[in-house]
Amino acid sequence: MNLERLPNEEKLTLCRKYYFGGFAFLPFLWLVNVVWFFKEAFVKPTYTEQLQIKTYVKRSGLGLLLWVAVLTTWITIFQHFRAEWGEVGDYLSFTIPLGIP
Amino acid sequence: MKSHAMCSNMVRCLGDGNTSLQKLATSIVFFFCLSDVSCNSVEQKIYVELNNTVPCVRLLNATHQIGCQSSISGDTGVIHVLESEADLEWPLSKGPNPPYMVLLESSLFTRSIMMKMKNESNRVAGVAVVVPNTSPPEFSPHTTCPNENTGVYSDNYGPNLAHCNTTVWNPRGNGLSYEEFDFPVFSLKEDNETEFIKQCYLDHNRAVNGSAPQYPLCAMQLFSHMHAVTNTPTCMRRNDINFSINPEMVCDPLGDYNVWGSIRPYNDTVFGHKENESVVIAAARLDSRAFFWEVSTGAEGSVSGFVTLLAAAQALREVTHEAPPTRNILFAFFQGETFDYIGSSRMVYDMENGKFVIDLDNIHSVLEIGQVAVHSGTNLFLHSDPVSRRNNTVNDEVREELFSSFFVFLLVEPNVSQPLPPSSLQRFLRAQPIPGIVLADHESAFNNRYYESFYDNAANLNLTYPSDLSPEEQLEFVTDTAKSLTDVATVVARALYKQAGGNESLVNNIKADPKIVTQMLYGFLVSSNNSWFQACHKHTGRYGVLGYLGLHCFVFFCLLEPSPPEYYYLLANLTGAATNLTQSQCQKPDELPNESRQMYSYLWVQGIVPPNSTERDSFCVRASVRLTKAVSPAFELGEYASKDYSTWTESRWKFIKARIFLVASRDLEMLTLGVGVAVLFTSLLVTYFISTKADVLFSSTREPASAAY
Repeated sequence: MNLERLPNEEKLTLCRKYYFGGFAFLPFLWLVNVVWFFKEAFVKPTYTEQLQIKTYVKRSGLGLLLWVAVLTTWITIFQHFRAEWGEVGDYLSFTIPLGIP
Repeated sequence: MKSHAMCSNMVRCLGDGNTSLQKLATSIVFFFCLSDVSCNSVEQKIYVELNNTVPCVRLLNATHQIGCQSSISGDTGVIHVLESEADLEWPLSKGPNPPYMVLLESSLFTRSIMMKMKNESNRVAGVAVVVPNTSPPEFSPHTTCPNENTGVYSDNYGPNLAHCNTTVWNPRGNGLSYEEFDFPVFSLKEDNETEFIKQCYLDHNRAVNGSAPQYPLCAMQLFSHMHAVTNTPTCMRRNDINFSINPEMVCDPLGDYNVWGSIRPYNDTVFGHKENESVVIAAARLDSRAFFWEVSTGAEGSVSGFVTLLAAAQALREVTHEAPPTRNILFAFFQGETFDYIGSSRMVYDMENGKFVIDLDNIHSVLEIGQVAVHSGTNLFLHSDPVSRRNNTVNDEVREELFSSFFVFLLVEPNVSQPLPPSSLQRFLRAQPIPGIVLADHESAFNNRYYESFYDNAANLNLTYPSDLSPEEQLEFVTDTAKSLTDVATVVARALYKQAGGNESLVNNIKADPKIVTQMLYGFLVSSNNSWFQACHKHTGRYGVLGYLGLHCFVFFCLLEPSPPEYYYLLANLTGAATNLTQSQCQKPDELPNESRQMYSYLWVQGIVPPNSTERDSFCVRASVRLTKAVSPAFELGEYASKDYSTWTESRWKFIKARIFLVASRDLEMLTLGVGVAVLFTSLLVTYFISTKADVLFSSTREPASAAY
C-alpha cells in the first residue's frame, strides 16, 4: 500500500488503527507502525495531521521496546532453566528437544 | 561414466527443438538413460556404509540413564586404532586432529580405558570395538552384585547379607553396561569391513617418523541418537504430553511375556486363591543382556537353565498322565530377570492382587534352576535363603525332602549363612516366606566367566560339533553338554515329582530325553532356523531375537500382537498333547464339547515333513500353557520412581548407522567456503555495476537508415 497516494486524514486513521490494535497483545502492529510511518512522522514536511501521527509513532515505539525487553528476558530465562525446572518446564514447552535434557 | 556422457551428448544433439518428433526422441532417450543411473551416485563415491555394526543404546531407570548417546547429526572422528593402553595418549592429549574415533580390539575393551575416554570425552568422538570370534579369558560388563536393590536382602531382611557383603556373585564384573557414555560405542565383527577400516587407517592416518599425519584423513561417523534423557519419570512424562502437534514417544518400558504351564490345567478366567490347592513352582529365567544391543545369547546364564527345565517338563509328561501327583506342578519361565526381576516381580504382584490363577498361599515350594552348565564331574549346589530358614520349621521339612530328591549328582549345600544368589525366588520371598531352592553349578561366586556378555555363547558351554556334519545332522547330534544337561534335567524332574507327592516307585522311570536337549541347545545357541523349531512353530516367520528382552515398539511401529516366542511353542509341544482337530476347529475349540479354551491353549503347529512328501504334517496341540504379561508393576501403577519394582525403559531412536569417509582439513574447508563467499559477493558487485552502467556498456550504435536506392 503506497502511503503517497493516500490523503492525510486516511493516513492518520490508519496509524491510529495500528496503534490501538497493538494493545491487543500484538506488538508486531506497533513495529509495523513505527517502520511504516517513520518517514511520514519525522522526515516529511509538516502538515496538519503530522503531530498526531508523530505521537502515535512515538508511543508505538515505546510499547515495542517494552515488549522486546520483556520477551527477551523471559526467553533467556526459559531457555537457560527449562531443563532444571523438570515437570514445570515440560508442561510449559511446546516442543521438547529429543535426546538432551 | 561412459553411459552418462553418451546420454548427455545424445540429449544435446537432439537440441531443443519444438517439433513433436524431437520431443518424442528426447523422451525416449531420457527413459533409456534413467535406467542406468544407479551406479554413479556421488554419495557412494564418498561414503562407505558399514553394515555389520551393533550399537550400544540408552536405558533409563528411576534415577539414572545408562548407555551411549551420539549427537543428532552423528559424531565424526578421525580413526585411530588403539595399540595399547599407553597409546591412549594420542587420542586423549597428543594427537593434533581431535576428535578421534577410537577403534579397540576386544582385549583393550576394559573398564580403565573406557573410563579414561569418558573423562576426556571432548576429544573422543566415539568408540568402535572389534569383536573377535574367539573369546578373551574373561569378560563381564555387568555389575559385581546383580540386582542388589530389588532382591530380598535389604536393611530389613538379612542386612548383613545385602549388597553382596558376604558373597560377591559376579567378581569379574566391570560394570561397563551400567555406565553412561556421551559418545557412541559400536561393535564391529572381525570381517572384511573391519579389515577395510584398518587398511584405511594404515593408508592415511599413520604418523610417519613422528610427524603428524597429513590430510586427508580417514574418518568414521556414527549415528545413534537416542531420544530419551535423564530418567524414567522424565521420559514417561514426555511420552504422555499430548499438547504438541506431533506427540513423540521417547521411550518404552522393557517388558515382554512370561510363559507358564502346569500339569493339571487351570481355568484361565478364575483368578485368586484356590482352596485346597498346593502347587510346586519350577522356575527358570529366559533372558540375558550384553553391553551392545540385542546381541546377547546368555548360553550359560539363562539358556542352560531354561533348557533344563523344558526337558524336565517333557520328562514329566508321561508319568504325570499315568499317576498324577497330589500337588500340581507349575513351570514358570520368567522374562526380564536381568533388569531387576521384571517377570517374577510381575507374577508375584499378580498373585498378591488376585490377578493370577493361584495365590501366594497356594505355593508349597519353589525350585529354581539357575546357571547349571555343569561340566561332567562337577557338583550341583542347592542354594537356599538363610533368613527364612531360621524362622520356619516347615521350611526344614521341605528342605529335607528336596535334598533327598536329588541323588544322581554329588549335591552339596553351600555354607549355611550364604545368601541366595540373584534369582526369581528372591522376589517370592519378598512377598512371603516360601520354602525354596535355587539349583546352580557354583558354590559361591559364579563360574560363568562371561556373565551377561556377548561372549556367553555356544563356545562357553563347550558346545562343539564334529566338523563334517551338515546342519541337519548337527541338530540331531548329541553333544556332551547336552548329555550333562540331560542328567540335570532328569534329576530336576524326579525331584519335582517327589516334591509334588508323586508315587515313589515310579520315580526311577523318569528320564529326560537327550535328543530334545541337544535339539534345543542347537536351536537356541547355533541356529534358530532349523527344522525342529519350524515343525514346532505355527509358521515359517521371523524367529524373534532370543535372549534380549523383546520390545513391541520399535522405531516407528508397534506390533499390535507380538508373535508368541519359541519358548511358548516349545513348552506347548513338550507338555501338551497332539489332537486331531482341524485347523478351523483349532482356532475355535469351544464349539466342540470336550474342548475349552479356558482350560487349555490350542496351537496350530506346522509339524515335520514326512519323508515321502512335500506337505507338512500340521496338527493342533492342546496344552495348558499360557502367556502372561511381564511388564513391571511400576508401569501398571504409574509409580515411575518406584524403589520396589523395576523401572527400566529403553530409549527410542530414529536410525542407527555407521560410515567411513575421508575428511579434509578444517583449513581447506574454510578456504573453500571463503572462496565461495568471495565469488558470491564479487558477482553481486559486478551485476550491480553492469546494471547501473547498462546504457553506457550496451549502447547500440545506430546505423543511419540506409535509404533504399
